[in-house]
Amino acid sequence: MRFILATARKDLLRIRRDWPALLLWMGIPLMVGGLLVVMFGGDATPTARLLVADRDGSLVARLLTGVFEQGPVGEIVEVEAVELEEGRRRIEDGDASGLLVIPERFGRAVLDGEPATLELVTNPSQSVLPGILEEMLDLALEASEVLRRLFDEPIDRILLDVDGEGSPADSTVASIATAFNRAGEGARGWLLPPAIELETVALAEGEEFDFGRAFFPGMLILALLFMATGLSTDLWSERRSGTLRRAVVAPRGAGTIVAGKWLAGSAALALVSAVGLAAGRWAFGIEIADPLLAFFWLALVGTGLLALFTLVQLLARSERGGNVLVNAVTLPLAMLGGSFFPFETMPSWMAQIGQTTPNGWALLRLRAIVDGAAEPGLLAVSAVAVLSVVIVLGWIVARRLGSWAA
Amino acid sequence: MIEVEDLRKEYDGLVAVDDVSFAAGPGEIFGLLGPNGAGKSTTIGCISGLLMPTAGRVRVQGHDVAREPRAAKSGMGIVPQEVALYEDLPAEENLRFWGEAYGLRGQPLAERVREVLEIVGLSDRAADLVETFSGGMKRRLNFGCGIVHRPQVLLLDEPTVGVDPQSRVRLLDLVREQATAGVCVLYTTHYMEEAEQLCDRLAILDHGRIIAAGTLEDLRGSMGERDLVRLSGAFDPEAIRESMRSLDEVEIVSSGAEQIALAVPGASRRLPEILSAVAAGGGVVRETTVTRPSLESLFIRLTGKELRE
Repeated sequence: MRFILATARKDLLRIRRDWPALLLWMGIPLMVGGLLVVMFGGDATPTARLLVADRDGSLVARLLTGVFEQGPVGEIVEVEAVELEEGRRRIEDGDASGLLVIPERFGRAVLDGEPATLELVTNPSQSVLPGILEEMLDLALEASEVLRRLFDEPIDRILLDVDGEGSPADSTVASIATAFNRAGEGARGWLLPPAIELETVALAEGEEFDFGRAFFPGMLILALLFMATGLSTDLWSERRSGTLRRAVVAPRGAGTIVAGKWLAGSAALALVSAVGLAAGRWAFGIEIADPLLAFFWLALVGTGLLALFTLVQLLARSERGGNVLVNAVTLPLAMLGGSFFPFETMPSWMAQIGQTTPNGWALLRLRAIVDGAAEPGLLAVSAVAVLSVVIVLGWIVARRLGSWAA
Repeated sequence: MIEVEDLRKEYDGLVAVDDVSFAAGPGEIFGLLGPNGAGKSTTIGCISGLLMPTAGRVRVQGHDVAREPRAAKSGMGIVPQEVALYEDLPAEENLRFWGEAYGLRGQPLAERVREVLEIVGLSDRAADLVETFSGGMKRRLNFGCGIVHRPQVLLLDEPTVGVDPQSRVRLLDLVREQATAGVCVLYTTHYMEEAEQLCDRLAILDHGRIIAAGTLEDLRGSMGERDLVRLSGAFDPEAIRESMRSLDEVEIVSSGAEQIALAVPGASRRLPEILSAVAAGGGVVRETTVTRPSLESLFIRLTGKELRE
C-alpha cells in the first residue's frame, strides 16, 4: 500500500509540474462546449429584423405589419418602420433580414379585391431568416384573401363609409357590427366546430430543451476522455526512460505500479471534475442537483476511462502506434457518446448506439444526477460495475505490464 | 549471492542466452564482458526478474527469482543501462521514490537520501530537476537510485555508457566502494579496460554463450604469453596461410583481404620474419600493431573479431 501511495505521489508531482497539460485538458472541452452553446443554444435566439417602408399607411397595411409582431413570430421577428430610401440602403448593407415595401393604395386594393403588389427584398447573405419572412408574408396575404371573402358585406359597408367625409355615424358602425356578426354566424357552420382540433400541451416549467444544460455534462465527460487519453500515454514515457523496467523489478511488482498510477490519475481527474462542475455552476449558471454525487461519479468514470486507455496502450507495439490506437478509440467515442452532439440531436438509431458506449453510458447517468433524476439503486449498481471493470482491467494490465516494459 | 545455472532465454525461437552458468559472492565484482548483442542485458534481465528464463535457474541470496521473486528482489539493486530517472522531478525526489520502492520510509529514508546524494556528489543539486543535469550527473544519480536501499546484490548494466572520463572514474570508484562494503556486484560492460580495472572475475559472452570465464589472470594465462599482432594492408589469405606455415608458434587468429591477426610469443622480436613471410605470400603491409596479452586480445583470439564490432 505504501508503494502505491509513493507511486501516486510521484505521479501527482509530475502531473503538477506539467500544469499546462492539465489546463489544456480542462480548457479544451469547456471551450468547445462554450462555442457549441453560443452557436446553437443558450440565450442567443436568432432574430430577423424586418424593415417596413409603409407608403400606404392604411389600416390594412398596419394589420399586415402587425402579423409579424404577434405571437411566436413576434419572438423571432423585429419590425422596424423606415423610409424607403433608408430601407434600401440598410438592406444593401446587410443590416436586416428583409425590407417590406407596402405601396400606396395597397389597403384600398385589398379591400376592393383588386390586384396589389408588395415588394419584399431579402438579405442574400442570410438563408433561414429571410425564408421565414417570405413564408409569413405569403400566409398573411392568403389570410387577407379569406377574410375578404368571409366578411364581404361588412367590408363593403366600410368602403362606402370610408368614401364619405369624416367619421362614420353610430348607426353605420352598429349596422357594420351586425353585418360582421351575421357573416360570422354564416361561417359558423364550417368554422365551428373546427375541422382540425388542435391540442396544445404546455411544457412543464424547466422542461424546455436547454442547450447549455444538454452540452455541459457531455463536455465534462469529454474532458475526462481527453485527460484519460493523455494520462495513459505516460506509460510510454516511463517505458522510454527505463523507469518502468526499473519499477517492475522492484519487489512490490507491477500491480502496485498500476494501482499507484491510476490513483494519481484519479486524483487529477477528480480535480478536473471539481473545476468543471464549479465552472458549470458559476460560469454557465447550470444548476446541479447533487454536485457531490456528480463529482464522485465523474472521478469514478474518469478512472474507468483511464483503465480502458491504459489497456489500449499496452496493445500497441510502439508509442506512435499507441497514440494512433487510442485516438482511433477516443474520437468515435467522443462523437457518438453524446459529448459533441447531444443524444437529442442524433438520429434515434445513432443515439441508441451512442448510449451504449462507455462514455455515453456514463453521460446518461451524469445527466440524471445533474437533473436530480438519478435513481440511487441504479446508480449504485452502475458504480459497482465501473469499479469491477477497473479491477478487472487492472489485473489484465498488471499481468501484461512486466513483459511490455521489458 | 548470485547463482546462475544453465540459463537459457529465447525470444520467438531466437536464442539470446544459452547455457550460461556462473556464481558470484559477497564483496566480489563479477564482470560480464561481451560485444553489443552478446546477451549481457538479457542475462541481467533474467537475474533481476524482468525476464522469465526459458530454462535454467537463477538464485539471489538463496532465493529463486522465479519462485520467490519478492524475497529475491528485496536485497537487489539495479542500475540499468539507460538513465532510468524521472527527469521532471528533483534528484532527491527520485532517490526518495526508489527508496520507497524497496520499503524505506520516514526518517531513515530521508537520512539515506541525504547520504546517497553525498556519495554521488550531488548534495548541492538535490532540489534541482534532473532534466537540468549533465550526462555524467545523471549517470551518478542513476547509480545512486540503485544503491539507495543498501542492496546486498548490485546489478550494473553498462553504467558508464556515454559518460565523460571524469564521471567514469568517479563511477568506477563508487562500484569499488560497494564491493568493499561487502556487496556482490554483477557488472556488464563492453569496455575491456573497465573490466580489467574493476572485475575480480569475468565471463566473456558472445552470441549468448560464455566463451571464457575466470579471474583476469586465468584469462590472460589462457592466452599464453603470446602477443597479438595485427597487420593491415592487402592480402591473399590463402597465400599468407601457406607462407606462415614455416614459422614456429605463430597462430593465425583471423585472416582477411585487408587485415590479419596473429598470436605470437615475443612478437616484437619476431616481426622481421613475420613481415618477410607476409611479403613471400604476396601481401602488402601498411600498418602493424603489437598488443600485449589482454582481454581484448583474448576476445579476438576466441572470436576472431574485435569486442566493439
